[in-house]
Amino acid sequence: MNRALRLSTAALVLALVAPTGLAAQQASTPRAPVAYAIRNATIVPVVGPRVTGGTIVLRNGRIEAVGANVTVPADAQVIDGTGLFVYPGLIDSGTRLGLTEIGSVPGGEDTQELGDFNPHNDALSAVNPSSEIIPTVRVNGVTTAITSARGGVIAGQAALIDLMGWTPQEMAVLPRAGMVITFPRIRSGRRFGGEGSQQGGEAQAEEVNRQTRALRTYLTNAKAYAEIKARLAAGAPGTQEVSLPMEAMVPVIRGESPVIFEVETAEQIRGALAIADSFRLRVILRGARFAWRLADTLAARRIPVIVGPTVSSPGDGDPYDAIYAYPGVLARAGVKIAFQTDNASDSRNLAYNVALATAYGLDPDEALRSVTINAAQIWGVADRYGSLEVGKVANVIVTTGDPLDARTQMRHIFIRGQPVPFAGRHDRLYEQFRARPRS
Amino acid sequence: MNTTRTGVPAHRRTRDAARLVALFVALWASVSADAGAQQPARPAAQPAAPAVAPPAQAPAAAPQAGNPPFQVPVPPAGRLVAITNATILTASHGTIERGTIVIRDGRIAEIGTNVQVPAGAQVIDGTGKYVMPGIIDSHAHTALEAVNEGSNSVTSEVRVEDVLRQDGGGIYRELAGGVTTIQVYHGSANTIGGQSSTLKLRYGLPVDSLYFQGAPLGLKFALGENVRQTNYQPQPGQPRRYPLTRMGVEEVLRDAFTRAQAYRREWQAYETARRAVRRGQPEPLAPRRDLQLDPLVEILEGRRLAHVHAYRAEEMLMMMGVARDFGFRVASFEHGLEGYKIGNELAAAGTGVSTFADFWAYKLEAWDAIPQNAALMAERGVVVSINSDSDERSRRLYQEAAKTVHYGGASEDEALRMITLNPARQLGIDSRVGSIDVGKDADLAIFNGHPFAPGSRVEKTLIDGRVFFDRDSAPTLENLIEQMRRQQPRQGGRPVTSAGGAQ
Repeated sequence: MNRALRLSTAALVLALVAPTGLAAQQASTPRAPVAYAIRNATIVPVVGPRVTGGTIVLRNGRIEAVGANVTVPADAQVIDGTGLFVYPGLIDSGTRLGLTEIGSVPGGEDTQELGDFNPHNDALSAVNPSSEIIPTVRVNGVTTAITSARGGVIAGQAALIDLMGWTPQEMAVLPRAGMVITFPRIRSGRRFGGEGSQQGGEAQAEEVNRQTRALRTYLTNAKAYAEIKARLAAGAPGTQEVSLPMEAMVPVIRGESPVIFEVETAEQIRGALAIADSFRLRVILRGARFAWRLADTLAARRIPVIVGPTVSSPGDGDPYDAIYAYPGVLARAGVKIAFQTDNASDSRNLAYNVALATAYGLDPDEALRSVTINAAQIWGVADRYGSLEVGKVANVIVTTGDPLDARTQMRHIFIRGQPVPFAGRHDRLYEQFRARPRS
Repeated sequence: MNTTRTGVPAHRRTRDAARLVALFVALWASVSADAGAQQPARPAAQPAAPAVAPPAQAPAAAPQAGNPPFQVPVPPAGRLVAITNATILTASHGTIERGTIVIRDGRIAEIGTNVQVPAGAQVIDGTGKYVMPGIIDSHAHTALEAVNEGSNSVTSEVRVEDVLRQDGGGIYRELAGGVTTIQVYHGSANTIGGQSSTLKLRYGLPVDSLYFQGAPLGLKFALGENVRQTNYQPQPGQPRRYPLTRMGVEEVLRDAFTRAQAYRREWQAYETARRAVRRGQPEPLAPRRDLQLDPLVEILEGRRLAHVHAYRAEEMLMMMGVARDFGFRVASFEHGLEGYKIGNELAAAGTGVSTFADFWAYKLEAWDAIPQNAALMAERGVVVSINSDSDERSRRLYQEAAKTVHYGGASEDEALRMITLNPARQLGIDSRVGSIDVGKDADLAIFNGHPFAPGSRVEKTLIDGRVFFDRDSAPTLENLIEQMRRQQPRQGGRPVTSAGGAQ
């Protein structure tokens, strides 16, 4: 963040809080203005053509107007967008935001529950709105994210959250965005230093088989539970003992809640699709670094894939560019893709994950869609998120250029129409030590 | 080589000599024009006492090519190469548009816009391409069979060059990310981890050809949580290892250097006594060689560089205090995530920092890390580089460098230097690599666009003027998919699964 940007942001924040500021004179209370207008900017709505010299008006958390011939309302705080670009806020489709602070410190990681089956765990209730990591992520343009637990087979419900709010509930876009299921896999025990505790291949394969059988059994039970529940609701006599995990599985079995299947290999993808077919589940694949081997199948079946993180190494026997290139392969085959960072602190690098894919074959326009409108469609919120259109939630980023370019600066970030202060942990420390006298 | 002064034990000298001969036979046989291997030894910028004897001492006449003992996937380069009509990011003197670089015998011979392509040169068309100096990753663990000798907190006797391997993937993928030189270190489990090596990523050649001949010697130190083993659970029955605190780490350092000083005096006394021996008199007995203290003596005498893994500001100040008391300079702090807090002190001590672009929050000592660290330290006059510490991050260091523009507002030239000239300075190899200047090794990365632009990728990577990575002939995912389509047409609509493994 350069100095000019910092000052403009500071001025903006000051205007919001200072009782003698412009805002105070215009509004009846010293609260934030209700409307913002970004004027004379290049607007990239993602849906539809870009508008040069355009204006976008944000009011009451929504986009009130956007286009070339928009009149700036009299009560709006005006931001000069000359030379700047306006995009919808970016969506990270897989994170641990709010659940992880410092992973290696005891208590710093809140994503790994005991046991293989925890469908009744909701990530949302554990999200820390005051996480020091979240402000560092949103100032890099990520305004909305999926956050979820990991581990076991069924880890629980992921939440789609906006990255600002006083409580998790306030942040929630979708309190339950999808059931996270890790397709059973052989885990590499390799650790830093080379010598890992690699369990024997046979023992691992047996464990994978056991978990896969257990998953099928669990889904079979859930299906039966849902059927009994439906019959009881339809007036059949009898009772059913309430099981919280089974209750959590009912919307999944009914196809109301998608399953986020964590997969890597082609075999795991086939396994996941077979289970989806057996139980008629709505499936979103995540990770899926070998999905390129099934690209046509996934496209034909309209299975969306959350790709990434691309900041990852392929196996030694795989093409050197496999991880960078597979998002492009999928997109060209017609698969709807979105991106994840699978991280908390690294979520701010979402756009740079995407950039690596564009260098290896992903179309730049599709790349932008993958972290905006595609993600919104996959999560079922495209009526509210993912593009700059009238009526949509005002998650808006104002930049000096292409957000995929690491040289680009973020100038203003709005979440639900409110300006995001550039005052996270990093900015505070930067200011503090930048002011240290020389010598 | 004066064995007394360099402290290289006899068995190692023998092995090194044998290794050298093998190296030369192999290189000569496989590629007669391998300029890298034939570079005459040059005095290193700073401590000059290479553990491996310089190539000039190798046999003058080696077997010629004809029946190469090694199948190398890299094409031998011509002695004369020209990259034409490219945008050249020199890292030392700005950007040259539509420029040509002429390479002779592995070195950069000419650069400019009015350079004639010599007759007979192998021409690489640089139209629309960007050429930058080969990326130098000043902190890697690639190509190592083992990383930590975690038994003791002082293991200065161990050497990464003893566990080098031409690993299948890591080196190649780094080359494919434009990296040409890496500094490989031990891990950070120990206060004094071991002797590091500077490598050129000559992928496909015998492992000995990875050495960056003539690079200064290095020793890896580590401070903080990893040494304290705060994130390490000892096995049942296993005793905890000293030290557990930063105070203990300082004590271990002072103790080691105090022992090294005494050891050095012993040898000095011996040398004095030996010189005083008259003809016919018996020679005095030499002190017992101590493999652990030899490298520390080299540090004390300025013949080996100290590279110190550290995170927090106060532990860096502590280390600089130890260095001051024992009369040496810390060449670089590795990571140095809180370096921005003590830019003044670092700059005054002439100590560089090799840091991450924005990696943070993975442990408590990385909690005050800020992505503006690199730019802020540079503002205060510290020589800053951006490193990877990971095979994965190494292959996209160009993007990591671009982040210093994003955070803290470094200029693009400055950002470029953080992965080229600056790490070269920290490693004492800046007279050889790190910028596109006449006389330097022709280590270059050719991109299809500006290295910092989002759609850019590496097309070719050259080391000593030789193309070690070429995307045109590289095994890419697209090639694999194409190959699979040709070889096995679909059966019953089920996609083929022959390649790519199950991983």
